[in-house]
Amino acid sequence: MCGIVGYAGRRNALPILLDGLKRLEYRGYDSAGVAIVGSGLQVVKDKGFIANLEAQLPTMIGSTGFAHTRWATHGPPSKVNAHPHVDCTGKIALAHNGIIENYASLREKLEARGHKFLSQTDTESLVHLIESYYEGNLEEATRKALHDARGSYAILAVHADEPGKVVGARNESPLVVGVGPEENFLASDVPALLRYTDRVLYVMDKEMVIITPKGVSIQDLEGKAITRAPQRITWSLEDAEKGGFEHFMLKEIHEAPKAIHETLLGRLANLEVDGFLSEGVTSVKLVACGTSYHAALVGKYVFEELARIPASAELASEYRYSQGPSERPLVILISQSGETADTLGAAREARRRGSKTLGISNVVGSSLTREVDKTIYTRAGIEIGVAATKTFISQLVALYLIALKLGQDRGALGYDELDRLKDHLRSLPRAAQYVLNKADEIRSLAKKYGNARDMFYIGRHANYPVALEGALKLKEISYIHAEGYAAGELKHGPLALVTPSTPVIAVAVHDPTYEKMRSNIGEVSARGSPVLAIGSEGDKELPKFVDDVFEIPDIPWILSPVPVSVALQLFAYEVARMHDCPIDKPRNLAKSVTVE
Amino acid sequence: MRAVILAAGEGARMGPFTASVPKVMIPVGNRPLLESVVQALVENDVRDLIFVVGYRRERIQSHFQDGKAFRARITYLTQAKQLGTAHGVSEARPHLQGPFLVLNGSNMVDGRFVEDLLGSGGKPAVLITQSERPRSYRVFTVFVNNVATTTEKPTEVISNLINTGAYVLDERIFEEIDRLAKVGKHDLPSAVSALAQRTPVLAIRTEGTWVDALFPWDLLRLNATALKAAHEVRAGTIEPAVTIRGRVSIGDGCVIRSGAYLQGPLSLGPGCEIGPNAVLLPSTSLGKNVRIGAHTSVSNSILMDDVILGPASVVQDGVIGSGVVARAGLLAASGSGDVQIEGEWHAVPQLGALIGEDVEIGNGVSAAPGTVINERARVESGARLRGTIPAGAVVL
Repeated sequence: MCGIVGYAGRRNALPILLDGLKRLEYRGYDSAGVAIVGSGLQVVKDKGFIANLEAQLPTMIGSTGFAHTRWATHGPPSKVNAHPHVDCTGKIALAHNGIIENYASLREKLEARGHKFLSQTDTESLVHLIESYYEGNLEEATRKALHDARGSYAILAVHADEPGKVVGARNESPLVVGVGPEENFLASDVPALLRYTDRVLYVMDKEMVIITPKGVSIQDLEGKAITRAPQRITWSLEDAEKGGFEHFMLKEIHEAPKAIHETLLGRLANLEVDGFLSEGVTSVKLVACGTSYHAALVGKYVFEELARIPASAELASEYRYSQGPSERPLVILISQSGETADTLGAAREARRRGSKTLGISNVVGSSLTREVDKTIYTRAGIEIGVAATKTFISQLVALYLIALKLGQDRGALGYDELDRLKDHLRSLPRAAQYVLNKADEIRSLAKKYGNARDMFYIGRHANYPVALEGALKLKEISYIHAEGYAAGELKHGPLALVTPSTPVIAVAVHDPTYEKMRSNIGEVSARGSPVLAIGSEGDKELPKFVDDVFEIPDIPWILSPVPVSVALQLFAYEVARMHDCPIDKPRNLAKSVTVE
Repeated sequence: MRAVILAAGEGARMGPFTASVPKVMIPVGNRPLLESVVQALVENDVRDLIFVVGYRRERIQSHFQDGKAFRARITYLTQAKQLGTAHGVSEARPHLQGPFLVLNGSNMVDGRFVEDLLGSGGKPAVLITQSERPRSYRVFTVFVNNVATTTEKPTEVISNLINTGAYVLDERIFEEIDRLAKVGKHDLPSAVSALAQRTPVLAIRTEGTWVDALFPWDLLRLNATALKAAHEVRAGTIEPAVTIRGRVSIGDGCVIRSGAYLQGPLSLGPGCEIGPNAVLLPSTSLGKNVRIGAHTSVSNSILMDDVILGPASVVQDGVIGSGVVARAGLLAASGSGDVQIEGEWHAVPQLGALIGEDVEIGNGVSAAPGTVINERARVESGARLRGTIPAGAVVL
C-alpha cells in the first residue's frame, strides 16, 4: 500500500518521479500526487490513476521533489485526502506511508493553536507539527515532530526555502535510498530506483535520512550520524519481468501451451474465426517475412491437406515486385507485430491486384490490420525475446483454424473427420506441454550437438518449413551456421557439405513421407554425420537409424509442426545458452523490421 | 512485510496429479492452490512475495509471472535440493530483513487466515487451527500463548490443535535453522520449536479457512469449498433450451449446447464445449478448453485443462488430469474403494476414478470406484479397470 519516490539532483525531477511511481504501482493505490521545489513549492494531487494525475500536470520545473501513491486508510480516496499534504504557510509538503496512531490528539492540539486542517488524514497532523517546530531547518523540525508522533511511517518532506533537500524517515514502513553521482533518490522499494542507480542504502526503523544532490546523510532520531555503506543491487528490472526465467525467450517458449489456448479460445467449437468467411475463396496465397514466412509455408501444406484448396507461400519482399498472375487468390498476410514494412507493402499490392486480404497478427490495431480486409489475432501475448517463439506457434494454430473452416465450408472434410481434427486441435496445448516437460532431455542433446560449427536441418512436407525455422532459430540466437533443407533436395547439392563434423537434425515423424525421410537420413549417416531425429512416440524403428531420437506425441502428422517447433526452439535456446550468447537481443537483429 | 511462500515440493502423495505439475499448481475451484494463498496475502496488502520453487518450477513461473496480474511482486528463488522447509526458508535469507511471513503454498487459505497471522504485530508466531484428524499432523500443546511442546504425528490424541505451517518469523530463526541443519534437521517446525525455547513464540489460533489436501480425494472437498466462495462469471455462447441453476461460472469462449443441464456450484474455465443434453452436477470444476460429449454426466469432480470426455459417459467423485481423452461411454461411477498411494492403502468411502494427465481411454471402458490410472497410460476399448494402472501402461 502506498508508494513514495523522492529525488534531489540536477535533472528535472518530475519525469523521474513519475517513472518511479509507476514502478511501484504493484503496491496498489487509489490516488496520486507530486510535490516539486523549484522557484517555489508546487503540489498537484488527485484521486485515481497516475495517468489521471499526469493528464492534469502543469509545467513543473525543479530538481527536488517527491511523488506519492496513496492507498486510503484514514479518510476516503479523494483529491483532498491524497498526498502530498501542505502546511498552513504552503511551504512544507509531506507524503507519508503508514499510520500515525495519535493523530487525533495531535490534530486537536494543533487546531487549538490555530492550524487549519483540510483533510481527514492522519498524515496532515504531521505536516502541521513540522511547521510548528520549523525554524529554518527542515530536518530539525521533522526530528522534533517525529518525537511527538506514534505509529508507523515512511515519510518524505520538502521545504520551499530549502531547495535541493528531501528529508525522509522510517519506522515500520519501507524506505530505501538510491545513491547516484550528483543525484540521490528515496523510494519505498528498489524497482523505483533501478533505472537510475544500482547502489542502494536501506534505511532502518527510527532513522532519518537527508538527501541532497551532493550526498546522503542518515541519522537516528537524536540527530546522531549513522555510517552505512551502499549495497549493489545485482538484479535488474528486466529480471523481475522475466518471472524467474533466465531469458525472455525461455519464458516465452514455456508459454506455448497458453498461447495455443488463447488462439483457440472461443473459435474452435463452432469454427467461428473472427467472422472470417470462406465464400468465394478458390485459392490461397500466404505472404510474409522471416519466421512468419515459415508459418506461411506450413500453411500452404495445411490448406492443401485440410481444405483441399490450391495454396502457395511467398516472401513479402518478393511478392511485392513480382508480376501477379491473373487469378485472384485470398491473400493471407502474416506479421507478428503487424508493422513489417515488406508485409505491409505486400498487403497494399494484393489489394491493388484485386485480391481479398486477410491479416494474421499478434498486435491489436497494428498497421497491418488497417491494410487488410479482415484480421485474425493470434492473441499470444506480448513477445519480448527477439527470436519469435510462442507467436510462431500461435500463427500455426490460427492457420489450422482457418484451414478447418475452409475445409468444412468446402465440404473437403466429413463431419466425423472434422470432429476428430477439432479434438486433436483441442489437445495441441498438451502436445506442446509434453515437449516442455522433457526440457532436460533437450538440454543434454544440446550439449552433445551444440559444439558444431555448422548444422543441417532436414524435413519433408509440413515439416520442411519447420526445418527451415529450426535452422533460423539456431542462426539467430546461437550464431552457429545452420541451413534447413527439404530432405529430398540434399542430393541436389547440400550433400557435398555433409561430413562427420556437421550434425543433421532430421524431422521424421509418422507422416506419409516417413519412409522417404528414413532413406534421406541414411544418405547423411552414410557420410558420417551424427543424426538427431525428432520422431513420433513409440517409433521402435527410428532409433536404429540415428544417433538420438527426441520423441513428440503421436498426433496427426499435419499438426506435428507445433510440438516439433517447440522442441527445435528449446534446442536452439539450450545451444545458445551453452555458448553464453545474448539470447534475448542477438546482434544485428530487431524484433520487428519496419524498414524494407 | 514480505512473505516467503514454500512451493518447491512435488507432493508425491497426490499420485498422478503431480507427474508434471508441482502440488501447489493443482487446480481447485478452477485455480491453482497457490493462487488462494497469493490472493489472501494481497487482500491483506502483503504484496511483496518470495516464492521458493523447485520441482517443475516453470509451471509456477509461467502462471504467476512477475505477479503483476495478481497485484503482487514475485521474486523466485530456486531451492535446488529439496532438503526441507527450513532449508527452503533459508534460501530467502538474503532477501529478508525484520519480520516476515512464511506460508505453505499448497494449502487453501482465505484473507482472514492471513489477517490472523498479521495479528502478531511482527512478533514471532505460529498460526494454529483445530483439526478433525490431528493424527496426521504435528500437534501443539499451548501454554499461555507460547509454543511449548510439539509432537509430530502423535499416536495418541494430545490436542486437536495443529500447526498450519504459517509463521511470522524474523532473522533469529536463521540461527536455529543453521544449528539444526548441522545435526541434519531441515524442517521448519523443529526450528520454530527451538526458537520457542529462547524467545516467546505466539501460538495464534485462526478462525480463517485453512484446508490441506493430503491425498487426491481431498481435492474434491477443497473444490467444493472453493466453489462456494468462487466469483461468478457468465460468458460464452449458451444455446437455447439450456437449464442453468445455482452458482454457475462460465468462462470466456465457452459453448453450451442445447438441452444441457447445469446445476451449480459449477465452474467452467474458458473455451469449454458442453455437448447437447450433457449434465453437470455439483460441485464440479472444468478447467480450460474442456469438451464434454453429448449425454455425458459429471458430478462432484475436477476435470483439469484440455480434458475431452466423449458422449454417454458417467464421471462421479472423480479427478481427471490435464489432457485426458476418453472416447464414448466411460463409466467411472462413485462407490467405496481401496486406493493405493505411495505404497499405502487407504479406504475411501466415496470415490470415483483418479485419472492422471494425458491418459487415453477407448470406447466403453469402465473403472471401478477407487481406480487410479497413472499418467500417459492407454486403455483400449472395452476394458474393465480396477486397482492401479501404472504410468505409460497399455491396457488391452
